[in-house]
Parts: sequence; C-alpha cells; structure tokens
Amino acid sequence: MQKRLLVSLLFLSCGLFAQEQISFENLNDFKDQAGNWQIVGDVTVNRGVDVHHEPTKEHDTKKKKKKKKKNEPAPLKAVEFSPGTGIALNINSEEQRDALVTNWEHGDIKFEIEVLLPKGSNSGIYLQGRYEFQLRDSWEVKSALMSDMGGLHNNWETAEDKIFRGIPPMSNAAKAPGLWQKIKIHFQAPRFNSAGEKIANAKFVTAELNGVLVLSNVEVPTHTGGPIEKNEVAKGPLLIQGNHGPVALRNFKYQLLKESSVALSSLSYKTYKGDFQDLKDISDHYKVAQGQANKIDVNSIGEEDEYGIMYVGKINIEEEDTYTVSLGYTGGVKLILANKKLFENNLPDGEGLLQEEIKLTKGSHSFILINIKSAAWRAPRLGMTIESAVTNPKSFHVLDSDPPRVNSTSPILVDAETEPRLLRGFVSFKGNEKRLSYTIGVGTPQGVNFVYDLGAANLVGMWRGDFVDATPMWHNRGNGSFKARGMVNWTFLNQPIAQLETPNSAFPETGTAPNFVAKGYSIDKNSGLPIFKHEYKGVVIENKMTVDATETYLIQEVSFSKIGLTNWYLKLASGDIQKSADGAFVIGGQQYYINVLSGQTPRIREVVGESELVLPVDGTSIKYEIIW
Amino acid sequence: MKNYTIKKNMRSLFFVALIVLVQVTFAQKVPTEDDYYRLTTVPTPEGVKVEGGGVLALADGTVAVATRRGDVWIIENPTMANGNKAVFKKFASGLHEPLGLAYKNGALYTAQRGELTKLIDTDGDRIADEYQTVYAWPISAHYHEYSFGPVLAPDDTFFVTANVAFGNEEWWRGESRVPWRAWTMKITEDGKMEPWATGMRSPAGYGLIDDELFYTDNQGDWIGSGALWHLPKGAFTGHPAGLKWAGHEDSPIKITEEEFYSKIDIRQVKKNGRYRKPQNIINEEDPDFRYEMKEHFPQLQLPAVILPHGILGISNSEVKVDETAGKFGPFSGQVLIGDMGQSKIMRVVLEKVKGEYQGVAFDFRAGFQSGVMRMDFDQSGNLFIGETNRGWGSAGTTNSGLEYLTWTGRVPFEMKTVKAKPDGFEIEFTKPVDKATAEDLDSYTGSSYIYKYHAAYGSPQTNVEPLKFRGVQVSEDGMSVRLVVENLRKFYVHEIALHGVKGKESGNGILHRSMYYTLNAIPDGAKLTATELSTKRSSAHKKPVSKKKALVKAKTTAKKVLTDKEVQPLLASNTCLACHSKDKRIVGPAFKSIAKRNYTNEEIVELIYNPQPKNWPEYATPMAPMPHVPKDQALKIAAWINSLKK
Repeated sequence: MQKRLLVSLLFLSCGLFAQEQISFENLNDFKDQAGNWQIVGDVTVNRGVDVHHEPTKEHDTKKKKKKKKKNEPAPLKAVEFSPGTGIALNINSEEQRDALVTNWEHGDIKFEIEVLLPKGSNSGIYLQGRYEFQLRDSWEVKSALMSDMGGLHNNWETAEDKIFRGIPPMSNAAKAPGLWQKIKIHFQAPRFNSAGEKIANAKFVTAELNGVLVLSNVEVPTHTGGPIEKNEVAKGPLLIQGNHGPVALRNFKYQLLKESSVALSSLSYKTYKGDFQDLKDISDHYKVAQGQANKIDVNSIGEEDEYGIMYVGKINIEEEDTYTVSLGYTGGVKLILANKKLFENNLPDGEGLLQEEIKLTKGSHSFILINIKSAAWRAPRLGMTIESAVTNPKSFHVLDSDPPRVNSTSPILVDAETEPRLLRGFVSFKGNEKRLSYTIGVGTPQGVNFVYDLGAANLVGMWRGDFVDATPMWHNRGNGSFKARGMVNWTFLNQPIAQLETPNSAFPETGTAPNFVAKGYSIDKNSGLPIFKHEYKGVVIENKMTVDATETYLIQEVSFSKIGLTNWYLKLASGDIQKSADGAFVIGGQQYYINVLSGQTPRIREVVGESELVLPVDGTSIKYEIIW
Repeated sequence: MKNYTIKKNMRSLFFVALIVLVQVTFAQKVPTEDDYYRLTTVPTPEGVKVEGGGVLALADGTVAVATRRGDVWIIENPTMANGNKAVFKKFASGLHEPLGLAYKNGALYTAQRGELTKLIDTDGDRIADEYQTVYAWPISAHYHEYSFGPVLAPDDTFFVTANVAFGNEEWWRGESRVPWRAWTMKITEDGKMEPWATGMRSPAGYGLIDDELFYTDNQGDWIGSGALWHLPKGAFTGHPAGLKWAGHEDSPIKITEEEFYSKIDIRQVKKNGRYRKPQNIINEEDPDFRYEMKEHFPQLQLPAVILPHGILGISNSEVKVDETAGKFGPFSGQVLIGDMGQSKIMRVVLEKVKGEYQGVAFDFRAGFQSGVMRMDFDQSGNLFIGETNRGWGSAGTTNSGLEYLTWTGRVPFEMKTVKAKPDGFEIEFTKPVDKATAEDLDSYTGSSYIYKYHAAYGSPQTNVEPLKFRGVQVSEDGMSVRLVVENLRKFYVHEIALHGVKGKESGNGILHRSMYYTLNAIPDGAKLTATELSTKRSSAHKKPVSKKKALVKAKTTAKKVLTDKEVQPLLASNTCLACHSKDKRIVGPAFKSIAKRNYTNEEIVELIYNPQPKNWPEYATPMAPMPHVPKDQALKIAAWINSLKK
C-alpha cells in the first residue's frame, strides 16, 4: 500500500508538464541577438581545451605533448559543430556576446532543458531575467559553491537590504565537459499586492540537475548578479547568458503556470455514524448532522472512526480545459463530478491518493463526494485538489483534513569518509528495472562511487557525490537494497566478458553462461579498494576499479590469468556510441565517455538492434577510463 | 584530606555491605533466574550497531559477531576481564545481511543473502582482506529471502538454510521463487552444493546435536508452532514451498506440489477477483495434522520437540548444545534454543525413542535486553548472545546488542530431564524433592494438545485435553519422579506443571515449573503397577467448600473488574504477556492501546479467538488465534483491558 502511494505521489509531482516545446528549428522564440547564438545540428567538444585559458594542469600538459608529437594538428577548437537543427549554440566573441532572451514573459513556470558546456565555460539561466540558475563547468569541483553548476549566483550588491550571497547546489551533480546535462526547474514568481509591494519572494520550488535535486524550496529575496534589470516584477522573460563562454541548448520544454480560477460553491454536508462496510450503507437513518461549509473538513464529523460523510456542491470553471482531480482519503470514497463517476474505492479501510483527469466546460458543475471509514488504525483523511496543466493546484479542503504526507524515518546514510566503503545489497537497474541480487556498492573518499554486479563481472553504474542511503535495507525489516545518493550513470546488463561463437554473437545474459563463476574479491592493501575475481573457462579474470588522479572519474583495469585467448571479447558500452576527435567514445547520446588507455582498438558493432563498443581480448590487460 | 576520604569511604562501604546483606536475605526466599545465571551486557562503541546475526567464540579468546548491518566484529577481551575494556575490531564489512558465522582452518565463513563467503585475514592485522565466494545460490531479491548459516558439519562441509519469499498478491503465502529457497543446502569448500532437505519457512535456528543437523523454524503458514527438527538428508519438514523443485534431478525429495495438494487443501480461494487470506477455521470438524499426512508422505519429518507458540517463544532461533562439561552449570550436554520475540532461551533434552528424536522443553532464562538470535560458548563457559529485534519487535526493548550469560556456581532447583515411559514420564531433578509434596497428585496439573497443519498463519492449540494422573512414584533419593498418565497421546505435546512440588532442602518450588514433552513415540516396556504408586491427594483431606458459597463467589468476581495484580496470573497462564504489556509496545500493542479502540468486552474475546492482524498494520508479527483461552477468563481479561481506557 505504501509503495503504491509513493508511486502516485511521484506521478503527482511530474505528471503535469511540458505543454510547450522549443525544438530549436530556429530562434523565433527569442529576441534578436548579435549573432553569437546559432542553430546547429551536432555539438562536440575537445575535452582538453579550456575556454577560459586557465593554466592547464600537469596531466593535461603531458597529454597534449604526446598528441602533438603524433599528429601535429592545428590548435584545437573548444567546440565543434555540424550544420543542422535541434540545438542552439552560443560561441561568443568580444563583439558578439548577447544573451538569448525569450520573446515571451513568465511568472510561475516549470521547464526542462539540456545544456552542454566545454571545459572552463560559464553561463546561466535567468528566471524572469533576474534570478540566475548558474551554468558552469564544475565537473572537477569537490564542494560546489553558489557560483557552480546548479547554484544561485550572488549579486555583489553592497546595500544591506540588497545583498544576496548566493545559494550553492545541495550537491555537485555536474557532468564532464561535452556531455549533455539535464536541468528541470519549478519556479514560483514573486507575489505583489495591489499596491505593487512584494508580499512573497521568488522561489525555486525544485531544481534538478542530471536527476539530482540541487535546490528545494529555496527563496530568493532579491535579484541575483547580472539581471536584465535591477528590480523584481511579476513577469519577465527567460534569459540565457551568452557572454562568458560557449554553451549549447536542446530539448527545451516549458509550461507557464497561473493561479487557478476554479472555485467551490454551495457546499453542504451530511455526516453519519455507523460501522459502514459499504458506501451504500449510509442513509438518512444514520445521519447525525448536516449543514453548509466553505471547505471540505473530515474532522468536522468529530469522530475518529466508524463514520460517513457526504458533500454536495458545485465546482465553478472559468476556462474549459482538462483538469486533474486528486483525492486523498482513508476508508472508502466515491466522487461524482459533472455526472461522471470519477472515483470509487468501495472499502471501509482503504487509504490512498487517487487522481483522475476530466474535461470540464466553462460553467458550474455539481459534485457529490462520499466517504466512509471503519478502520480504527487509520486517521481520518479527506481532501480534494484540482489543477490543470496551466494552473497551480488548488485545494478545497482545510489543511488538516488532508495534511501533507511526510516521511518521518531517520535516514541511515553510509559514507566513505576516510577509506573506501563497500556494501552489498540488491540494486534495481536504472532505479526501477531488473533487481540485481549479487551487487556491491563501492564508495571512495574522493566521492567517486560505483555499483558492480558480482554475478556478471560488470560495472552497472557509477556516480559522484555521497555514497549510499541504506535506509531501505536497514530500517525495519528492510528490503535488502540501498540507494545511491547521486545521479547514477547506468551502463548495461549482461556479462561483458565472454568467448563468442562469432564476432557478432550476443554476450550472454547474466547468470546463463556455464563455467562463469564469481570468486569474490580481495581488498587492495594500499587503496582499500576491491579487486574482483571471476573464473571463466579456466581463466581467472581480475577486475579493478580505481579513481583517476583528478579524483573525478573511474579507471577500470581487467586482467586475465592466461594469454592467447581466442574469440574472447570485452563489452565496454552499449547504446548510442560516437567516436570523438580525441579518440574517446561518447556513449548514450553524450552521457558519458569511454577512453581506452591500454592501446587496444575498440570496435562499434550492431547486435540485435543495439550498438555495442567491443574490444577483442587475447589475455593482455585492458585499461580504460569511464568519464561522466 | 586523604584521611577524611578514606573514612568516608569506609563508612559508605559499611553501609553498602549492610544493604547487600539485607537484600540477600530477602532474595533467598524466592530465588530467580538471576541467582543462577547472571546476564552481562557488553558495551558497544557509540554508533556501532551489533545487530547480532552470527556469534562465534574463537579459540583465541575473542568473540566474532556478524551483524545485520553487514559487519563482522572481532571483540577482544569480551568478558572485560581484569577490569579492562572489550575492544571492537572491524574484521569485515559491507556484507549483505549475514546471519551466521563458522570457523575453519583460520578463516571465518558467513552466509550472506546470496552466497556463502569465506573471510580470510592474510596478513595478521585482524582485518579480512579476502572475501571469497564459496558458493552463490539463486536468489530473487525478495526482502524475506534471508539465508542462515553456515553450520560446519563434522565432514567439513557447510549447511545453509534459506527463507521463503512471499507472494505478491498472496503476501501471506511463503513461496520459493528460485531453486533451493525453502531448502537446506550442503556446500563443500570447493563450491559444490547438494540440496539437502526442504520444508523450511523461516529457518532462523540451526545447530549440531550428536553431530547431526537440527534446525528451528518459526510459526507461520504451515507451521502451527515453532519447533526443533532433526534434519537428515531428504527430510521434508512441512512448509510446501520448496516442493516446487522436487522434480529437479538433484532433489532428494520426490513429493511434487501436485501430490502434496491432492492430500491437503492449499486454501487458495479467490473472491471478487482477489485471493483471500486463509484463516484458522474455528471449531473445524476434521483438521489436518502432520502425523496424518506422514502416512501419505513418509519423508515428512515430524518436529522432534515442539516449542509451544507463545509459551516457549514466538520466533525460535539458534540451537546450541552445552558442551562446557559443567562450566555452564548442571545441564551439560543439553540443548539451548534462543527466541527473538520473547527475548529468552529455552532448554531442551532429547532422547531417541523407537529410532526417532523426541524430548522435553523448558523455559531456561528470560530477560535479555533484545531478541535472542545467536549464541555460542566461550572457553570459560560463558554463553555469548547476539541480539536483534529490528523489524519484528521483542520483549527486550533494546534494538540490538551483545550480552553474555554466566553460571553463578549455584545449582537451581529444576527438572533436569524428562523421559518418556510406557505409562507416562520420568522426571529427574537437579536437587532432591520433598517427598510429601512430590507424592501428592495435586502437585501436578497438565494437558495435552496438538497443532493444525494448514495454510493459515499459525495454529491454536487443538484437541486440548486435561491429563489424568494415575499415580506417582518418587525415587528413594528424591532425585526423580515417575508420573503415570492415563491418557498419553502419541504426537501430542504433553504439558505438565509441577506447581506443588517443593525442594527438600529449600522448601521452594521448582524455578521453572512446567515441562513440555513432544511424544512422537511411546516407548515399550514394563508399566508401573498400582501398588508402586502414590495416589495421595492433599485436597482429599481438606474440608470441601460448600457449593453455594462457591457459586456466590463466582458471581461476584465475574462482575468485578480485576485489578492489575489480579489479572496477572490470567495473562501469564494464557501467554498474553509473551507479546503484550500494559503500557508498552512489545511484539504486540500495549493493552492500553487496545483499550483505546473502544471494543466491547465481547469483541475483545472474539479477537482473542480470531485475531485480525490487519487492524494493527504497524505490528510485524501477527497474533495467533488463541481459542484455548477459557471464555470466562477471556471475558475477565477483556474487562480489565477496557478498564485501562481513561
């Protein structure tokens, strides 16, 4: 029951979204600009080129030197692109450095967008042109500041009532340069009274970066740095900064929101007392009170249990639209609206949150709401909320009749503070797909973490940030699983090392290959990291993951106890795969990089409609970087 | 300054001594468990949760504890000898809810949810650096798929037991989603697995007795009461989930699910499109019992000793033989069985009758701070206990910990063993009995009962019948008693309380007055003749109470609500206190919380007979039906509960 509730709550938070879409076929949605913004087809970056020309770090210099000797190329550009549509790209110069400003204005808004930055670049999304959500290459940053990706930038004001010192993101969820990063924001505009005085601050209700919540219920008391105008207004344009380095945008979807005009009138109620088992059981025979009300309030019955209540009233609609009606309840419930039975859960002891869409025309619509409860262990609850895709939700109950559901369990967090921390647990692939039984999480003090499937010798996912939340496993009986505390980059399922019949045979499904045996792991004395061991066809395979020198990504090393292996292959990646200019492979629509260090040449192959990046294995060690 | 301090200390010392003296004189009157077995808590470092999933005393004097949090701690100086602290070293971590420990050739072995793992410290820093997978078994990743073990067998192989999963819609029905769940597996060091036995539901306890594997299971579907089973290869102990794999070439059990359910009702009924949870059928005409089913399925293994649910535990755990050769007191060679929910340890004595194990169970020691999960004896005969109650609740309200039990050197007045005889039982004591009370038949009361074998959760005591004692014979030295019972019933639990028998020296009653004998077989041999028996009844000499007076009294007591003190014996004898207390949540809700539900007395009685666990969703362990509670007592209890409403 609890699970079902959670799912429906999730649905509630993201169900109504994205009516408008800017697909960047052109820049018609935006004001004219100096020409630094253009529509292109594809964007890649050269990961070594820093657009801010900061002194390059030692390892970068070495890399460049090597390359120069080999190819002697012309100096690389930070960003390369191909013609086409779908992406808005900013390449600014001294002369051309305009912001991209929508030609529409917004108040409350929900939107999502993908952005891509080259190394060292800096930009920002200004809500209402005034509140900056920072975009920046913060990939290698350990503790994110307000000036890092996902933060709210300070404003350098000196007047005491104008100072805004900025808000850092809750964690650094930024990806490597050249990868697409997804941003999802729900913003509430400041509110003004009729005299024009501000009565509520602008608020980032939620902001997600790459699937990680970076801001939650954060108010911004004044404009941030570099606003379009140094004031606060009810409506303003959306602005993307263009003067601090290249940035690319794609998949921009938004929904403007306004206050709901839905109203409730002529509300009357009847309350009943009895051990009702069926919604039909209530009748005037059991009636104890009746009257008029302004809002739904289940507590007005004055009974904890064994009650019934019936509301009759009218819902007034000003704009014809599809509305979503949400009903929170305990016991059993039925709602008839505009002569349509919207919900019925005919139980005396149910609990839940029901949601249903209904088309309502302009005018007044009658409704009947019936609720019974005979379940002493459930507190009374009854609430009705109506919203449409273009409005904020509006509730028609007093708060206490359907109070917010709060999870009051203290989280059990597991951290790798001074040395690596290992933890076995069930892991659901991609968070909700196949449940893996032999998985182990590995967290490092550097904050580079991964999940490894011991049953397949497979790196199934990796993330930066804090290690895991073990509450699902260690609270109460638990379900044997933990959750990563960060955005996991999931790779693929199945056993990645195998002897294949032909170079185009599929890799075996996990657990199906005979002769493939997990042997556990040993702990490396120096690093404290595990060395995983497997045995396959008489060969001992060792798999070692380490954190790179910049403490940002993973290096995987696979070694074999025999050489001269034939028809053996190692699968490095699966999904959309492109080779980039520096020899690395970009995986999954520019989600992460694979870069082979040990000299072997991977091949992209198509098997059962899926691209795979595959290396032939002869028994010599394989070492490669996984960068995200 | 110095002088003053000493003086003051002397004075307070004297004062303390006085108090101790006074206490001792009081204590002598009614000895308690504490007088014989002392309990010490090992303090754990702040932040460390020792949710004891495995406990193992090692030869070097340390104690290893595997926790549900995935750590293995090695605790040095665990008895805090010489006033020094116990030192906790994290030997291993990151394991998947390990629930057992074994030691072999310098390595520790533990069962994680999905594999048997060998932990080796290769460089002598007491930190494991090898986590070797000995054998990984299939697992579907359901929450209830715990794996317990290993038990190191005499042939150097390992036994691991595996919990059932539960159905999705039929969340009450134990099921085996992948091979060898609900089974016991025998695993060799080189990773070969032999399916050994099935019928397990929640096989939390295991141990070797006479080098043979035994295990305990928990009450639930198909398990009417917790019990101890002997587990030879090919045994089927009763829960049918594992029969799904009977067709597997490696299966030593050939009973198919189809064959099984052709003899016994699966109780899988759909109503309005949804499965209905099977409930205990009240006043069932012809309930099924295990021994009847054994006629169809000879592999069905009857429990060697039933541990009546709610009396001797509600969630039985570790099985441990006292091999301390007297360091742990007078019960050397006997079996101890822990219980999580009731936070206590029971004592079992087995005997082999007609080739099968059976025997007696007693209460042994209660009062642990948390659920008793695992235990092991150290070299000095201290019994270390790894504790947890997370997710289920227990009488001891601490969530986890480590304690140890030490014999104080005093011998309690106890029944030492009970043996089945052709005509009754022979009870041996630790100390001589007072002949007068032991020869008095009024000193004994008893009943026998059995548990149903059905798909519903648990079972009430069924076919309850009072025992009729024909006579008693007390041995010359007063160390044993032959009790002749007229109505012995094969396969039934025989519960006998020796409430009137006193010790010869102390004049006190027996520390634990009840014994519970599971009579799978009645031995052949000579019966005692009437001339050898005492049939004396002290009640025969007393003046009979006039019937009229008794009636009047009964009437008034029925109306009067009992006081807290008056209701205690009722709550105790009907085992209510196993799960409920007046103010506190234990395994079940507090009586005060029940009072708040505004049930009538009659409704409460109905709920005692036919509980509705769904009314209390935040309680993990469902209450078993208790139809054996006499109605007049149930009404008194109900009235008392309702009197707590304020």
